[in-house]
Amino acid sequence: MQQFAMQSFSTEVIYSFVIIACSLMIYFGTKELYELSNHKGIKYFRQAFLFFALAYFFRSFIKLIVFYFNAQGILSISPRLFNPLISQITLIFFLYFSANRILDISPRTFAPLFSQITLLLFMYFSSMAIFYLLYSVMWKKWNGNDKKVYLFHLFAFVISLFIVISGNALAYLGVNLLLFFIVLFVVYTSYKNKKKKTKSHKHNLYIIYLLLSFFWILNIIDILIPSFFQNFQMFVYLASSTIFFIMVYKVLKKAGSS
Amino acid sequence: MAKRNKLEIIQNILKIIQENHNSIKPTPLLRQSNISTTRFKEYFNDLIKKKIIKEINHKENKYISLTEKGFKFLEKYRTIINFIDEFEL
Repeated sequence: MQQFAMQSFSTEVIYSFVIIACSLMIYFGTKELYELSNHKGIKYFRQAFLFFALAYFFRSFIKLIVFYFNAQGILSISPRLFNPLISQITLIFFLYFSANRILDISPRTFAPLFSQITLLLFMYFSSMAIFYLLYSVMWKKWNGNDKKVYLFHLFAFVISLFIVISGNALAYLGVNLLLFFIVLFVVYTSYKNKKKKTKSHKHNLYIIYLLLSFFWILNIIDILIPSFFQNFQMFVYLASSTIFFIMVYKVLKKAGSS
Repeated sequence: MAKRNKLEIIQNILKIIQENHNSIKPTPLLRQSNISTTRFKEYFNDLIKKKIIKEINHKENKYISLTEKGFKFLEKYRTIINFIDEFEL
């Protein structure tokens, strides 16, 4: 059992490493184009992948916490409404500063705090990644300015905080599904517009954007409800990695980066 | 003639400087770039701030020339446009 958990955790680490590496390659591969052009679309596109990298970093951290504390899932460690995040932070800091030399505090004391903060950061960064990806395509139509981005940050933070405090996985899944349908609508509208303008049939990028969002939802389900996929988990990882590889290939080819 | 976007206007301005042996006075540059004085000033200040062009004083005359970043912009312009187009940005 322990060996199986170890194997599963190793797979997680490799998977996260691949996705983080791909995201950072996209981020740094487009650095020169952005620095030369200062184009807002390129800026938001790069930010999306930076936030993907951060989200996957905290995702692997969640898996580490679950593995270390031998728990069923992150939400089984995180306490619910009656023990909110703020009171725990205060309590932990009080315990730490006043008694760490006298009392032997077990790492399990910190488990709820670790899990809540990590879950909060994971949800915040993942929502922002999708927001940025959406905004990179829509900024012209929405009279893009950076003030709107602050609203996205606020929105992502409030949702994440609400879900961490309430411990409601379905609410978070619901918000992300809603985001997915917005992406679906935006991508479809852009596809129709481009088809009218160029009469070209080479629009496979839209499919990649959709698949990226779709597999993102599957990754969220995997984090919140770990037993959901069981035998299909490896398939989800391989498919997600393939999409990121295609994205890296396309971006680096077009950006002229080596 | 279709309305030029920001990147096209910048490329036009830089191209004019380059075609004039990388040295041109502000007035002919304004005239050839085919934009209003107000907009030209905005672009000019922006390009100076981003170190894409530089001002050189020579015998009490002011000349404008491209910096290394300016040449790099012209070299990469097509790539930038293709990238924006490909990813619908």
